[in-house]
Amino acid sequence: MPVDQMTNIPSPAEIVEIKPISGDTALFRLRLMNEEAARDFTFVPGQFVQVSAPAAGEAPFSPLNPPGNDGALELCVRKVGHVTSQLHKARQGDVVGIRGPFGTGFPIAEMAGKDILLLAGGLGIVPLHSLLCHLLEQRDAYGSITLMYGAREPSALLLRDELRELACRRDMRLMLTVDFAAEESACEPSCNIGLLPDLLRGVPITADNCYAAVCGPPALYRCIIGELQGLGFSDRRILLSLERRMKCGLGRCAHCAVGQLLCCIDGPVFRYSDLKTIEGAL
Amino acid sequence: MAKDFLANESFQSFLEELTQFGAIHGPTLTEDGVPAFTTIASSSDLRLDYRRTLIPPKKYLFPPRTPLLNFAPGCGYSRPVVATGEIILFGLHPCDLAAISYLDRVFTQDRPDPLYRARRNALTLIGLSCEADEFCFCGEMGTDVPVNFDIYLEKVEGGFCLRQGSPRGKTISSGLSSLSEGPETAAPLQTRMAKVADRIRKAAERQETFPKSPLWDDFADRCLSCGACSLCCPTCYCLDIREYGDLDGRTAQRIQEWDNCLFKSHGEIAGGYNFRKTRQERFRYRFIHKYLGFGPLRGVVSCVGCGRCREVCPVKIDLQELFQQED
Repeated sequence: MPVDQMTNIPSPAEIVEIKPISGDTALFRLRLMNEEAARDFTFVPGQFVQVSAPAAGEAPFSPLNPPGNDGALELCVRKVGHVTSQLHKARQGDVVGIRGPFGTGFPIAEMAGKDILLLAGGLGIVPLHSLLCHLLEQRDAYGSITLMYGAREPSALLLRDELRELACRRDMRLMLTVDFAAEESACEPSCNIGLLPDLLRGVPITADNCYAAVCGPPALYRCIIGELQGLGFSDRRILLSLERRMKCGLGRCAHCAVGQLLCCIDGPVFRYSDLKTIEGAL
Repeated sequence: MAKDFLANESFQSFLEELTQFGAIHGPTLTEDGVPAFTTIASSSDLRLDYRRTLIPPKKYLFPPRTPLLNFAPGCGYSRPVVATGEIILFGLHPCDLAAISYLDRVFTQDRPDPLYRARRNALTLIGLSCEADEFCFCGEMGTDVPVNFDIYLEKVEGGFCLRQGSPRGKTISSGLSSLSEGPETAAPLQTRMAKVADRIRKAAERQETFPKSPLWDDFADRCLSCGACSLCCPTCYCLDIREYGDLDGRTAQRIQEWDNCLFKSHGEIAGGYNFRKTRQERFRYRFIHKYLGFGPLRGVVSCVGCGRCREVCPVKIDLQELFQQED
């Protein structure tokens, strides 16, 4: 496949399925239509693709699942802007464009043999879900796995069916929390009420042999890092997936700089040790 | 002896001879009296004594607004055909040559931009020596020694000394009958490193961002966020990408246009959260990009000392002042 395709020119992908998963978020299942592109398509959890909605433009998304070998990929799209609104108007069978994958994902090889703590806030569950699937696929290669996932309210918890399944697994620990819940709401699967740092405080974690992967809104990073450091996590083992306005994905348009680093090539997954001296990074 | 002298009286025929290699563009005055690079019909259009054009030559490499992709149902996205007739860009000062050299690094190295490369390959760069005024400091930045040219003209008594800087420059000049044998040797060019330049380099080397300088507040208070400094900067290349549907409701065009890091929208993400809400944050972003460098160009100072930003700023902001503070 010529480098120009998938890098500079979007490759067509058919929308195979659209499934609403919360009030403003839907799961899109896409399949690359070009055989060669489908065969070669692979990525590391944490990397992103640029999705084109014709006549609206392009936006970056981190896939929900690790790559299969069929050119299929799943995205969670929250309706927040121009491109995502257009995607929400699309129907099954419509064609969108895909460029990528771009950026640096999670250091999965380096994380092998270690305990893994995943901390997701809101839509931040998406890249971490991709990482979690990888960890569970290679379950023996990793130590203990804990996923803590926080959302605004019970109805904002994404991937509920899957969360129920994960909750039953014995080879990982799942903890959920919501900011607030009305008394009468049936909170299923069962979750705590409070913020992620509160959840973290209540659990014994041995930081020595552990990596923490965090993804969520900027406010989450600002309150969780101190907690992780307090538990003894070294700054280079705190992995953060940042959000910026990546336009080209190629390190050219200069929109996504974080200090002197570029989110689209040096990130979106960064170590806290690389970010801590950068003003405005979090 | 090499034919490397262009006498003033041969200048018109030199330009005429050059037209066989491409359309000639050079410094002229627009109807409004603004210095600009435009097409040249005759040598009388040229302003050989110009100081700087308002819009730098980057417009030839990535136009202010240019199609990036076309979309049509069934065909998907495809690249538009870029008209790249050969252009002889005449009269580039050393600072603008240095700027093009920097842009070449941005757009043709790690992940080359095919559109940039097509336009760049169609450009022949002819440099021209200049004299500094109160706004520029190319000598201080070490960019007064010309780089990246095909042909360079150094103004001397009675004409110009010509130098070739590339195989293309050699091919072109070898066929020119307007050149003659000139004086023995032209005076060698030397970099005039000044104190400020030295400070800029040292600051860049130690990744200095002057976090405590009171100047940041001062700049942010005065700045109008008009973006003129970055629009006129020969090395500013922030690009936005937009897509517009056509009236037929089926096809669409994706365009690329100049963006500006001083605009509030630059640091915004989906949902409206802004990583650079304040002018001060946007100024720091600009400073880091200009003097310390992003990503693969970390450590590369991209200011070439052309003086445009100092000249056009309506509120007289000069980032250079940061380097002039007492340590």
